[in-house]
Amino acid sequence: MVEAHQPGQRSAFVEEIGAEVEEWIEGYVRMGLRVDERHMNAHGVMHGGVATTIMDELTGALIASIRGMEVMFAAPHSTVDMSVSFIGGVSIGDDLIFEGRATRVGRSVAFAEAEVRKRGEDKLVAKGKFTYVIAQPRSAA
Amino acid sequence: MTQDEDRRSPFLALVGATIEEAREGYARLSLKLEQKHTNPNGVMHGGVVTTLLDEALAIAVGAARGVDAVRAQPHTAIEMNASFLAAAREGDELVVEGTLLKSGRTVFFGEAEARKRGDNKLISKGRVTFVIPKRPA
Repeated sequence: MVEAHQPGQRSAFVEEIGAEVEEWIEGYVRMGLRVDERHMNAHGVMHGGVATTIMDELTGALIASIRGMEVMFAAPHSTVDMSVSFIGGVSIGDDLIFEGRATRVGRSVAFAEAEVRKRGEDKLVAKGKFTYVIAQPRSAA
Repeated sequence: MTQDEDRRSPFLALVGATIEEAREGYARLSLKLEQKHTNPNGVMHGGVVTTLLDEALAIAVGAARGVDAVRAQPHTAIEMNASFLAAAREGDELVVEGTLLKSGRTVFFGEAEARKRGDNKLISKGRVTFVIPKRPA
């Protein structure tokens, strides 16, 4: 839950899922996922945990892009709260894009939102809000 | 039913969680954390636990509805929230319990907790709301 990314670096768990970082610039990160069999739940649609994982990863990376890598390594940010709406079903073969924006990055707290769509479509598949707390800086000693 | 459910949820199999108990309105899962569940800081990715909270409650709803009803018209999560109270690390074993707060005809409300086996420390707590979608007319 501590997000300590370098640009383009993914969490082991996100590698396991197979999501890719497509773009990473200050204040904007986009990730993509080609949905396959391993992402399914018992009912044959995408498991909600796939979307929440990638949204968490995306918003953590987004806040890192704004804070800067050095600042972040000295005082990592961690997710403390999340809330997600699952708006539309996703099936095998769908090509998803995940985009986010930071609502506010303060000294102690950061807020970000993430949206999930099928590539090329306007309709939302999921939307989430993530709240991060920024750790006290590690002492130089 | 336990193993059957496990086989039918490929993503739960990918995560590697075990269904320990499932009965009407209640389910318990467990997961021993491995390197593949971590983020670059070496602690559990938040998505692992949100997956387990969601799944525990989906199974609790399924156990309340019964296999035939679920097969005829599956329920789906529409809303979830979670708080992350403490970090968990590789080697830790998580126990996730989901309990339904209300079972309706169309909507199901549940809450779930993830604790560390052994010291019982609360790692995460969340709520998930499920709906049985109406069939297209």
